[in-house]
Amino acid sequence: MSIVEEVLEITLRSLAVSGTATLLASTWSVPLAYILAKPGRLRGLIASILEALVGIPTVLLGLALYMLFSRSGVLGFLHLLYTAKAIVVGQAILVTPLITVTACRVLKSARESFEEMALALGADDLQAMAIALRESLPGVASSVVMGFSRAVGELGIALMLGGNIRGATRVLTTAIALSVSMGEYDLALYLGAILVAISVLVSVTVKLLEEVQGP
Amino acid sequence: MAERFEEKHHHVTFEFIAVGTGRALKLAERGDVCAVFVHAPRLEEAYVERGVIVSGRIFAYNYFVIVGPSSDPAGIRGSESAAEAFRRIYRAGEGGRALFVSRGDNSGTHVRELSIWRLAGLDPQGRPWYKEAGQGMAETLVMADEMMAYTLSDISTFLSLKEKGRLTNLEVLYSGGEELINIYSAYVVESCGGAERMYAEEFIEFAAGPEGQEIVASYGEEEFGRPLFSPAASRLQELKALWEKLAGAQG
Amino acid sequence: MIIELKGVWFAYPGSRRYALRGVHMRVEGGRVVMIEGPNGAGKTTLLKVLALLYRPVKGAVLVNGDDYWSLDPRTQLSLRRRVVYVHERPILLRGSVLENVALGLKLRGVPGAISGALETLRAMGLEYLAERKWRELSAGEAQLVSIARAVAVQPELLLLDEPMAHLDEDRRELLVEILRELKSRGVGIVVASHWPQDELLRIGIDRVVRVVGGEVRAL
Repeated sequence: MSIVEEVLEITLRSLAVSGTATLLASTWSVPLAYILAKPGRLRGLIASILEALVGIPTVLLGLALYMLFSRSGVLGFLHLLYTAKAIVVGQAILVTPLITVTACRVLKSARESFEEMALALGADDLQAMAIALRESLPGVASSVVMGFSRAVGELGIALMLGGNIRGATRVLTTAIALSVSMGEYDLALYLGAILVAISVLVSVTVKLLEEVQGP
Repeated sequence: MAERFEEKHHHVTFEFIAVGTGRALKLAERGDVCAVFVHAPRLEEAYVERGVIVSGRIFAYNYFVIVGPSSDPAGIRGSESAAEAFRRIYRAGEGGRALFVSRGDNSGTHVRELSIWRLAGLDPQGRPWYKEAGQGMAETLVMADEMMAYTLSDISTFLSLKEKGRLTNLEVLYSGGEELINIYSAYVVESCGGAERMYAEEFIEFAAGPEGQEIVASYGEEEFGRPLFSPAASRLQELKALWEKLAGAQG
Repeated sequence: MIIELKGVWFAYPGSRRYALRGVHMRVEGGRVVMIEGPNGAGKTTLLKVLALLYRPVKGAVLVNGDDYWSLDPRTQLSLRRRVVYVHERPILLRGSVLENVALGLKLRGVPGAISGALETLRAMGLEYLAERKWRELSAGEAQLVSIARAVAVQPELLLLDEPMAHLDEDRRELLVEILRELKSRGVGIVVASHWPQDELLRIGIDRVVRVVGGEVRAL
C-alpha cells in the first residue's frame, strides 16, 4: 500500500468511526438535552454535572473503558478491546456531555418560546415538541458538529481502546502521535492539516445546508 | 547515574526526556538536546554519517526477549535461534493459532524485530495475525497480553510491567543469542556547544568509565532481583564488532 | 365558555416566590377584561394560567365548571384548543407569514388551513404580508401577524399580552376594530397592559382588574 493510499484509508476510518460515534451519541444526547431544557432542581444538578464532564481528559475516559473492556474487565467477554467498535463506543460517551450541554442551551430557549407558543395555539405535547425541535435544528446541528469535531480530534480513547493497529484501528490522531514519536514531523503536520480540514469542512457544510433549508 | 555525577558537580543538573531511539535522534538533529542514549545501531549509523552525533561510546548491553502466552501455541520454547522462533510464530500465525504484535513505530526494538524477520527470510507485514501497534513498548506489551500474542521486548520494560501485575499472560519464551543483543550507546550532539557540551562529554565518559560501569552492573537488582543491563567495558571489542554488524548490512 | 380561577397560587419551578397569590377571577365569552398593573406584577403569569398553560400550585381552574387539571389529557386538549394566548413578544416560526398564520389550523388538522389563514389575513387587512418571510417583518407587523395567527383558529377566548406594545397609531386603530368585531361575535377577550391606553377603552371594556405583587384587585 502506498503512503497516499494509507493516509486515505486512515482518513476514511477516522470519518467513519467518529461520524458513527457522534450520530450514536446524538440519539441519546438530543433527547436528554430536551428533557433537561426545563427548569427544575434535579435537571439543574444533572446539567451541571454534565457541564463539568465536558472537558474530561480523553486518556482518563480511555483508561476507565480500557479497564472495562480488558480481558479481565467486567465487559471483557464482549471482545471489544482493540477494535474500531471500541473507539466508537468510547467517543460516543466522550461527546455525550458536550452535545447534551450545548444542545440543551438551544432547546431551553426553544422550549420557553416555541413550545409554549405552540401549546398556546392548541398543539398537543408531541406537536409542540416537534415544533420546538424543528426551530432549534440549526443550533442542535451545531452541537452535533462540535461533538464530531471533539471526537475526530481526540487521541486518548482511540489510542487506548483502538491500539493504533495499522489497517484496523489507526485513525488520524493516533497516526499523528505515531509520526511524532517516529520523528516524522512533516507527515504529522500533513495528517494534522487533513484533520483540521475535515472539521472545518463538516462545520461549513452543515451551515450551508441550513442556508439552503431557508429561513 | 546522573545523581552520582551531580554529586560530584553540584552546579550541574541534567534534564532527561524519555523517548524512543527514533525520536531521540530526531531531537538531536533539531538541536533540542545535547546528548542521546540510544540502542538502534542502524539508525545511529545514519546520524553519525550525517555528523549529527559524535563521540559514540558503548556503555551497556542486554538482550531482547521474545515474550508470548505461557501456553506457547507456536512452540518457540527451545528454538535454536531467534530467527527459528520467528519462523515458528509465522507458521502458527498462518495456521490461525498465534498472533504477533509489532511495535511498528520505527523504534530500536522495532528495527531489530524487522531484522530478525529478514534473517528468518519472512515478511509478515500485512498478514492478518501480524498487528502493527504503532505504540511504545509498554502499550505493545499490554496489547500482546490482552490478545494472547507474541512480541519482541526489551527486558527492562517487560520486567517492570510484569512486576506491576499488568502482564498476566505473557512470559519470556526465548532470550539470548547474538541476534537479540541490545547495545546501548551514548553520543554527544554536534550542534551543542559551550559548558553544556563539556558536561555532556564528561557525563558520557563517566558512564563508560569504571564508576558508571559499576552502576550499570547493579541497576535494577534491587527492584527486580536481577540486573537489567550488563556493563560494556569488559567485552568492548566484541560488542563493537556486533554493533558494526548490526549497523551494517543486516542491522 | 367560562374560565374561573379559585384561590390560585402559582410559583415557577425552582423558585420559592409565588408569582400569583390566591387569585380569584372569572373570564367568559363576549366580555372584555383588562388586566393592568406594573411590570413584574404577575399579569403574564395570570394570563398563562387562564390560557390553561400553567398549572397552579394551589387552587383550582374551572372550565365551564370542571376542574381543568384533573381532567383527562384528551379533554384538556380539546378545551385548551378553544383558548388562545398571544405572547407579548411575537414568536414566529421560520417560513412565510401565511404558513405562520396557518399553524393553529394545521395543529388542529383542519383541512384547507392555508386558505383559512389567507381568509383571516384578508379580513384583518393584512393580505399584503402573506408571502413575506418572518425575518422581513417590522415589530408591529410581527405582532399583528401573531394576533392574526390566534384569530385564525376562531378561539372562544382570546388572551392578549401587551398587544399594543409595538404598534403605531394606525395599527392600534386597526387592532381595536378587529377586537370590537370579535367581541360582537361573542369572543371573550382578556388584554393585559402595564399602562392604561385610551384605545383599549374603545373596545368596550366590561371589567378592569388590577394586579399588584401577584394579588388581584377588581376595580
